[in-house]
Amino acid sequence: MNYPVWELTTYGGGFLIALMAVVHVLVSHFAVGGGAFLVLLEKKAYRENDRDLYAYVKTHSKFFLLVTMVFGGLTGVGIWWTIALLNPAATSKLIHIFVFGWAAEWVFFIAEIVSLFIYFYTFGRMQRKSHMIIGWLYFICAWMSLFLINGIIDFMLTPGEWLNNSNFWSGFFNPTFWPSLVFRTGISLVLCGVFGFVTASFITKGDLRQKIIRTCSIWAMAPFVLMLAGLFWYKAALPEAQLSMILGSSPELGQYMQLHSLLLAVLFLAALFMIIRLPQGLQKVLSFAIVFIALNYFGSFEFLREGARRPFIIVDHMYSNQMYLDDQNRVNKEGYLKSARWSSIKKITDQNMIEAGHELFNFQCSACHSVNGPLNNILPRTAKYQSVFGMDAKLNGLGKLNMYMPPFAGNVLERKALASYIVYNLNGVDSEHIAEKDVPSTEQGLTIPPFDKDKDQYVLLAWNNLGMHCISDSDPFWLILPPANDIYAQLILRGDSPEIITEGVELEYTAPEGFETPQKQVRFWEFADKLLGVKLEPGVGLSGLKVNGKMKLEEDHNAFAAKYVPVVPYKNDGSFNPYPVFTITARNTESGEVLASTKTVVPTSTEMGCRNCHGGDWRVQGITGISDETSLDVLRMHDKNTGTDLADKAKAGEPMLCQACHADPVLGTKGHADLLNFSAAMHGWHANFLTDRKGMRACVTCHPSRPGGTTQCFRSHHSEFLDCTNCHGTMEDHALSLLKKEKAAGKKGADRLMKNLKTRNIDSVADINGRTPWLNEPDCLNCHVDYEMADTDDAYNTWTDGAENLFRLRHDEMGALMCEACHSSTHAVYPATNNKYGSKRDSIQPLQYQGNDRPIGNDCMVCHTVQPEDEGHHPNSLRL
Amino acid sequence: MNPSPLIPAPDAIPVPWGWFYILLMLTFLLHILLMNVMLGGGIIAVISSFSRNEGTNLIAKEFSYKWPYTIAFAVNMGVAPLLFVQVLYGHFIYSSSVLMAAWWLSIIVLLILAYYSVYLFDFKYDQLGGLKVLAASFSVVAMLFIAFLFSNNMTLMLQPEKWSAYMTNREGTILNLSDPALWPRYLHFVFGAVGVAGLFLALVGKLGFCKSKADPQQLIEKGMKYFTHTTILQIIIGFWFLIALPQPVMKLFMGGSSMATGFLVAGIVLTLAALHFGFKKDVVKTAAATILLLVAMIFMRDLVRTGYLSPHFSVSKLVVQTEYSPMIFFLVVFVIGLMMIGYMLKLVFSMPGRDTKDPLAEEGA
Repeated sequence: MNYPVWELTTYGGGFLIALMAVVHVLVSHFAVGGGAFLVLLEKKAYRENDRDLYAYVKTHSKFFLLVTMVFGGLTGVGIWWTIALLNPAATSKLIHIFVFGWAAEWVFFIAEIVSLFIYFYTFGRMQRKSHMIIGWLYFICAWMSLFLINGIIDFMLTPGEWLNNSNFWSGFFNPTFWPSLVFRTGISLVLCGVFGFVTASFITKGDLRQKIIRTCSIWAMAPFVLMLAGLFWYKAALPEAQLSMILGSSPELGQYMQLHSLLLAVLFLAALFMIIRLPQGLQKVLSFAIVFIALNYFGSFEFLREGARRPFIIVDHMYSNQMYLDDQNRVNKEGYLKSARWSSIKKITDQNMIEAGHELFNFQCSACHSVNGPLNNILPRTAKYQSVFGMDAKLNGLGKLNMYMPPFAGNVLERKALASYIVYNLNGVDSEHIAEKDVPSTEQGLTIPPFDKDKDQYVLLAWNNLGMHCISDSDPFWLILPPANDIYAQLILRGDSPEIITEGVELEYTAPEGFETPQKQVRFWEFADKLLGVKLEPGVGLSGLKVNGKMKLEEDHNAFAAKYVPVVPYKNDGSFNPYPVFTITARNTESGEVLASTKTVVPTSTEMGCRNCHGGDWRVQGITGISDETSLDVLRMHDKNTGTDLADKAKAGEPMLCQACHADPVLGTKGHADLLNFSAAMHGWHANFLTDRKGMRACVTCHPSRPGGTTQCFRSHHSEFLDCTNCHGTMEDHALSLLKKEKAAGKKGADRLMKNLKTRNIDSVADINGRTPWLNEPDCLNCHVDYEMADTDDAYNTWTDGAENLFRLRHDEMGALMCEACHSSTHAVYPATNNKYGSKRDSIQPLQYQGNDRPIGNDCMVCHTVQPEDEGHHPNSLRL
Repeated sequence: MNPSPLIPAPDAIPVPWGWFYILLMLTFLLHILLMNVMLGGGIIAVISSFSRNEGTNLIAKEFSYKWPYTIAFAVNMGVAPLLFVQVLYGHFIYSSSVLMAAWWLSIIVLLILAYYSVYLFDFKYDQLGGLKVLAASFSVVAMLFIAFLFSNNMTLMLQPEKWSAYMTNREGTILNLSDPALWPRYLHFVFGAVGVAGLFLALVGKLGFCKSKADPQQLIEKGMKYFTHTTILQIIIGFWFLIALPQPVMKLFMGGSSMATGFLVAGIVLTLAALHFGFKKDVVKTAAATILLLVAMIFMRDLVRTGYLSPHFSVSKLVVQTEYSPMIFFLVVFVIGLMMIGYMLKLVFSMPGRDTKDPLAEEGA
C-alpha cells in the first residue's frame, strides 16, 4: 500500500529472508552460547593444567571469531537489510516502535565486539582471571542481544496488550517473550556443542579429541532440558489462533511440525552417538552432518514460528503483504490500486486488466508466493483454476474460512483483474478454452399422445416431482445424489363429478428408447455398496425399481408413484439428454386393457459445476458430468480443510456418500450429530467464495440452471421474470437461513461459516428465519396469496412448516389432486416452454388434454363433463 | 510527474525528532571516521603493497593488523545511524532501497566476502606472498563498490521525482546514475576516506601503536602526505559537488541560508587549517582540525538532505506518540556499555608486559 514492492518472481515468497534468517539464527545463537563454552573450557584447562585443552580453546576461539563476528554479525545486518527490502512497512513499524530496544541492542553489539577482540587477541597474555572476566562479559553482552531481539521477534507473533495500549514494554514483554527466551538460551548452549564437534574433530591428538568431543556431546545434550521446557511453555503461551495455525489449520505447517519433532530427536541422538569413540574421518564427517541437522532443526522451528503468525506479519495489526488490518474495509470500498501509492494503474479498463492484475499480484501475493520458485510457488497452487471465475471465487474466499492467507483487499473488479492475471498470464490458460460454452437449443422430436375429449374416459396425469433431479456421476470418489427419480401419476375417471381411480388399475412407466441401460453409463452400481451400504444389481435402483416398471399406490396422496427410478441423463450411445420422456400407461388390472396413456419428462442432470473452481474438465462432451480430476480435487480440498483422508480412501476404492457424515433429510441420513447438515455445509462453505453475485450467478455456478448451459433446469414461465434468488434468496441469504438453524441446534461449525457472510436482501441475520433443507421451503402462496396473481416477487424467508406442506406433496383443498398433477413439477410449472431440448417437453399433458400449455384445468372439461360452478380445488381455480 | 503521491506515510516517533537527530549525527560521525579508515586504509595498503620500498610495504602490513577491527567497528557504528535515519527518514530510504534492491542486498554478500578476504590478508600476510595483494585488492574493490551503492541510495532517497522509474523497472536494479551530484559526492567520500586513513596511520606512528616493524616516522610522513594531497584534491571535488547540487540546494550554501553558508565557510577554514597543520606534519593538531571539519561536513550533509527534501517533508512534521521510558532505558544501557568497555580496556592496558605469557600458552596441540 505504502511502499514499492521488489518483484522477485522466482526468488519471491520470502525466499531471501528465509535463506538469510536460517543461516543467521544458527550462527547468532552459537555466538551467544559460545561465550560460556569458551570460558568454561578455559577454566577447565587451568584447573587441570591441560596445555592441549588450552590450545584447543584458543583455536576454537579463532573459529568462533571468524564464524560469529564476520558471518553472524553481517548476516544479522543482512536480515535487517532484507526485511527492509521485502517488507518495508512492517520494518518501519518495528523500527519506530522499538527503536530504543534496537539501539540498546547496538550497545551490546559494540561491547560484544570489543570483548571478543580482546578475548581472542589477549590469549595467553592477560591474567587468567581477567581473561575469563572478558569472556564472561562477552557472554553477558551476547545474551543481552538475544534478550532484546527476542522481545521484538516475539512481538510480531504475540503483540498482546500492545494492540490496546501501544506501550513499548507491553509489546516487548509480550506473552511469548519468556518461553522464547528460555528456548533460545537452551538452543544457544546446544549449538556450542554442535559447533564444538567441528573444531574438536580436527584435533590430531586422539585422546584430547575424544575428551573434547565428549565434552561437546554433553554440551549438545544437556541444554535440551531448557530447550524442551521452553518449547512446551511456548506452546502453552500461544493464543489459540496461532497454535491452531501450526497444528494443522495451515496445511504445510503441519509438515514442518512433524519435521521439527523428528529433527529434534535426531539432533539429540546424533549428539549422543558422538560419545562413541569413532575414527577421526568419521568424526569430521559427522560433525558437519550435525551442524547440518541443527541448521535444519532450527530452520524448521523458525518456519513454524513465522508460520504461526499467518496471515500476519504483526499479528492482528498488519498482514504479511503490508496491509494494515484497519485499512481493509476502506480499501475494499475505495479500491486497492487507488490506495496503493506505487501502483502505476489507478483505474482498471479492459485494456489494462492483466497489467493491473500483475500489479495486484506484486502488492498482495508476492510477499509469500514465488512464481515458479522454491517457496510457495503460485503456479501449482493455482493451476487448477482453468477459469477466471474459479480463481476469482478462490480470491473471494481468502482469509475467511482458512486463516493462513490474508483476505483479498480491493474491489470486485480488482479481484477479477488479479484472477485474470493469474489464469491468463501466469498459468497461460487460453481464453478460448475456458469460456463457458453457450449450448444451443435443439428441438428434439416429440409426439404428443392422443386424447379424444369425446371418447376417452380417463385422464392420466403424470409428473416428476422435483422438476430436476441432479445426480453426481463422480461415483468412484464420492456421491451426493444417486440416480433416483420419483415419478408420480394420478388417474382420473372423467365425469360430472370426476373420480380419482386408485383400485383395479395398474400403472407402469417405460423409459424411452436409448435410456434402458443406465448401468452402462455411470459407475454408480460398481460402488453402490461402498457409497450406500447396499448391494444393488446393475440397473436396479435403491427401491428395487429399474427404468421400466410398475408404480405403487400411495394412498395418502391418491396417487401412484415410482420412487428412486435409476434414471441417468445418458443414452446408450453415451449422448447426453437431461429430459428423457417416459411413457406412463394405466391398465385395468384384470383385463389388461389400456385405460389411458401419457408421457412425462423425467429430468435428470449431471451438469453440476464443481469444475468451475475445483478444476478438471466436464466428463461428457465438454458440457456436463463430473470428471475424475474434479472429483478428486473436491476430496483433496475437503481433506485439506477438515483433516479428513477422503482422497486416499477413494483412491483405495472406498468412496463415500457425503451425507453419511452430513445429515440430509432428502436422503434420510442422520450423519454425525455434531456436523452441519449437508445443505448447510455446502451452501455455507461455498457462499464465502461467491459473495455479492448478481442474480442467480452464484446459484448456477453449481446447479444446472445456467442460461447458456445445457440443462437450464428453471424452465417455467417464472424464469422469464424471476430467478433462483426470488424464492431461495441470494447465496448469502440462502446459506445463512440454513446455517442459522444449525447454529440454533448447537452445531459448532456454523459460526465459522457465518462469520464473514453478510446478508444481502434482508437487514440482519436476526431477521432471517432459519430453515431445515428440503422441509422448510419457499411456498408458492408466499407470492400467490389466496391463489391470486402475485403482487410481489419476493418469496424468501417464509418457509413451509414441514414436508406435508411442500408443493410437491400437497393437494388441492379437496385433498384429491396433488398440486403438481395440474401445475407440473417445481421449477417447471405450466406453462414451461424454456426447455432447450424441446419447447413442448414440459407441457405434454396440457397439450395432450387441452391443446394448450396452461395448467391442467384451464379447461375444466378435461375432467369435468359438466362445467363446475364451485372452486373446489382451490380459490381462484375458476378465475371467476 | 508529481512525485509526492509516491512518498509513503511515515510512522509516528516515540520522542521528539531532536533526540534522534542528535543520535544520528553523533553516531554517523563515529561511523564515517571508522569507514574512512577502513576504506582509505585499504586503498593505502594496496597502493603500499605495490611499492618496491620495503618500508612502504610495511605500511600495508601495519594496516593489515588494524583492518579487521575497522571493518567490525565501521559496520557496528553504521548500524546506529542507519537505525536513526530510518526513524526520521524511513519512508524515503525504504522506498529508494527497494528501487535498487538487488544492488542494495548485494552489499551484504560483498561485505562478507570483503571481510573474509581482509582476514586472509591479516592472518596469512606472510604466507600468501603475491596473492595477499589480490586479497586486499578484492576487499578494496568490493568496498569501493559498496560505497558507490551507498552514494546511489543516499541520493536516490532524496529525489522522489526519480522514483517513477519504478513504474517501468520493478526488479530492484535502478541506480541513480543520471544524478550530476552522484559522482562528485562519491569521490568526495572516497578521497576523504583516503585522507582520513592517512591521518590515522600518521596517528598510529605518532602514538606508537605500531604492531609491525613499520617505521613510525615513515608512517607519519606517508600518512600526512596522503592526507594533504587528497585534501587538496578534495577542495576541487568539493567545489564540483557543490555546483552539481540542484540550484535551490546549492543556493542554501551560497548565502541562501546563513547556517548552511556558515558551515561551508567553517568547512573551508577548517580545511585550510588542517592543511596548514598537515604540511607541518603536526599530526595531533591536524587530527583535531579534521575532526572539527568532519563535524562541519556532516552538518552540511544533513543540510543538503533537508534541502533536497524540503518540498516534500520535514522531520518536524513527524507525529510524536510520546513514550520516554524506552529512551531512558537505552541511555542507561549506553552508559553501562561505556563503563563495561572502559573496564575491559582497563584490563587490557593493565596487562603484564609482552614477554609475560601464560605458562599454558607456551606450547600446545
